[in-house]
Amino acid sequence: MAVDTSYYLILSAAVFCTGLFGILTRRNALLFLMSVELMLNAANINLVAFSQYYGNLTGQVFALFTMALAAAEVAVGIGIILVLYRNFEDVDVAEAATMRW
Amino acid sequence: MAGELAFDIAPAIVALPFASFLAVLALGNYMPKKGASAGIAATAGSLVLSLFALVTVAGGSTYQQDLFTWSGAEEVPLHFGIFIDPLSAMMLVIVSLIALLVHVFSLGYMNDEGETGLPRYYSELGLFTFSMLAFVMADNLLMAFMFFELVGLCSYLLIGFWFREDGPASAAKKAFLVTRFGDYFFLIGTVGIVATFGTSRFVSTESHTAFPVLAEEALAEGGHGVTTFLGFGPEAWFSIIGLLVLGGVIGKSAQFPLHTWLPDAMEGPTPVSALIHAATMVAAGVYLVARMYGFYALLPTVLAIIALTGGFTALFAATMGVVKREIKQVLAYSTISQYGYMMLALGGGGYVAATFHLMTHAFFKALLFLGAGSVIIAMHHNEDMWDMGGLKNKMPVTYYTFLAGSLALAGIVPFAGFWSKDEVLYEVLVHGLGSAGTTGTILLVAYAMGLVAVLFTGFYTFRMVFLTFHGEPRTETARDPEPVRWNVKLPLVVLGALATVAGVVNMVPVEKVLGIKGIDYLHQFLDPETELVSNLTAHHYEEVLHDVSGYTADATAFGSESTTVLISAGLSLGLALVGVGLAYALYGRSPTPEEHTDKLGGLKTLWYNNYYQDEYQVWLASGLTLPLAKLADRFDQGIIDGAVNGVGRTSLTGGSYVKRIQTGIVTNYAALLALGLVALLLIVGVTGGWFA
Repeated sequence: MAVDTSYYLILSAAVFCTGLFGILTRRNALLFLMSVELMLNAANINLVAFSQYYGNLTGQVFALFTMALAAAEVAVGIGIILVLYRNFEDVDVAEAATMRW
Repeated sequence: MAGELAFDIAPAIVALPFASFLAVLALGNYMPKKGASAGIAATAGSLVLSLFALVTVAGGSTYQQDLFTWSGAEEVPLHFGIFIDPLSAMMLVIVSLIALLVHVFSLGYMNDEGETGLPRYYSELGLFTFSMLAFVMADNLLMAFMFFELVGLCSYLLIGFWFREDGPASAAKKAFLVTRFGDYFFLIGTVGIVATFGTSRFVSTESHTAFPVLAEEALAEGGHGVTTFLGFGPEAWFSIIGLLVLGGVIGKSAQFPLHTWLPDAMEGPTPVSALIHAATMVAAGVYLVARMYGFYALLPTVLAIIALTGGFTALFAATMGVVKREIKQVLAYSTISQYGYMMLALGGGGYVAATFHLMTHAFFKALLFLGAGSVIIAMHHNEDMWDMGGLKNKMPVTYYTFLAGSLALAGIVPFAGFWSKDEVLYEVLVHGLGSAGTTGTILLVAYAMGLVAVLFTGFYTFRMVFLTFHGEPRTETARDPEPVRWNVKLPLVVLGALATVAGVVNMVPVEKVLGIKGIDYLHQFLDPETELVSNLTAHHYEEVLHDVSGYTADATAFGSESTTVLISAGLSLGLALVGVGLAYALYGRSPTPEEHTDKLGGLKTLWYNNYYQDEYQVWLASGLTLPLAKLADRFDQGIIDGAVNGVGRTSLTGGSYVKRIQTGIVTNYAALLALGLVALLLIVGVTGGWFA
């Protein structure tokens, strides 16, 4: 009846790699945020999956915390993107390279 | 010992001039006589207290008291302390007496001449008197060193009193640098003594042992109880330390080759020359050797060097004094020469003789300088003796006191200088005759040099007297000299009396020849029978000299003792009289003397240029030290700084390359992060055996 844990892990890995791919290829800051959310959720899937596997609820509680943190992170991230747009009239992350050496 | 009133108030001897220094420094302009009165009051107070201490010491007690331990309470305590024994009590009286007379004289020389900056002058005199008295009282070498430096500083300040002129400013610098060169060795020697013995006390107390005693014990027991360094045995190592301390002595007491600063120091005001550069500060070096004579008496090599340096300096400086034109220059070279005699006596085993000569010389040389100051006032600050002449009748007080000082300096019986100089030469002679081997030979050589110097001393002294006071006046100023007041005459009279009669404190030849016992008061005074200072007495030094250094006095080489005494005294008196007679024949007989120095030919040029000592020392500095310093600078700039700069430049260049990975593009950072994670996983995997 129960699904084998390895499937969850494969799903999680797939979602993580999708997120990573997005970060490495996209230049739009909003897509960046979305990709980061994907990676976070991949981690959440892992947490819940192992929680179920070991019959221990700690992992699920942890996943809830992660979601709350993710929400906060998005709030900060969107704030940064707004400032980025105000300064560069664009949300391209490659543009914002003026503060390097 | 403690509980004596004179000793309980002894710190006031030092504190009074210091208080005067502070008061005059702060309020000098508002004080009577621009601070001179405060200085006179303070030094008079010091003199009274010193005399009180001297009388108490003569009664057979001595005093040692730690005042303040300022460092190293457990291991090596460094402290300030007072030590009053016959030697220091005598020196205290000399210093405070001369300081008082010089303060009085300064009223005439500085105030009456309308000098500016007098508060500065009197405060510096106060600081000097304070430092010198504290140096004399010091009960340990480190404290002595500190005040030794302080008197050097005061000497610098006072030589450069007229600092707006080039001459005094540069003379002050020269005096400071040359004496500092010697003091550098003194400092190392002091550190060496503290490191070797764990103490630098001159005198043993109930809980601590003095370092000369420790040295004596160590030599007797083959180096037990002391730390020597660099692999030297105790005797060699002690000699090295002794020579290092002697460096400071040679610089301060103007001995060859560090004597060159003293003639230039005559640029300072004449009362300063009398106080600092004749009677007291230059005596500091000789006093220091006498203070730690228990240490030097153990080291025959160092004693031989002291004797040779002293004898050579006595002769060397006397020859230069023969051709000088300025009255103060003659006196300067004679001062160097006389300190040579004191060193000769110390090296020749004549501890009491050296102390005796130190005392009489302080009186008659201060007198001569103050007399010269009086002449300089009269001559409107012209110091050239060839512009003087005939001052005898115009200023009789100056003339007769100056004459007394000159007779003392030349060593004519019965003036003070005769007795002390004769005893110096006698002690060196009997020790030279009695000691076996090289020691005896060296002492006889040094004695011969000292004896020849007597001839020169008699000559240059009376050349000076005849040129200054006798004959016809050679200039308008000399015909109508400015009169001097009581404040100039009073110190001259006091010192003139002392220069005439001070010899009675120690008429050893009279005692030996006529067989009157007990008139060698200074001998008895410096040989007290007190427990505290049993290792600081004249007969203890004589024993140590005999047992450790192989010095033996043989007074019977020419038959009986009185024959030797008479021969020695007759030789030095005869030579002095020959010198005086020669001076009379050349400069005193004719009312209009001519310069005879040209007849000396090349010798005159050599003497007039001081044996080119200044030139060769300048050459040492500019021809030898400067290139060496440049080389060291290049090493410092190139190799040391180069290494430091190289390290900095490497990381800067490296950084400028590595910083390029900071592109500012978030994607690249993410890629690096991901790659880093993958690499980490691979490493962990491979080493953890996941793929096996």
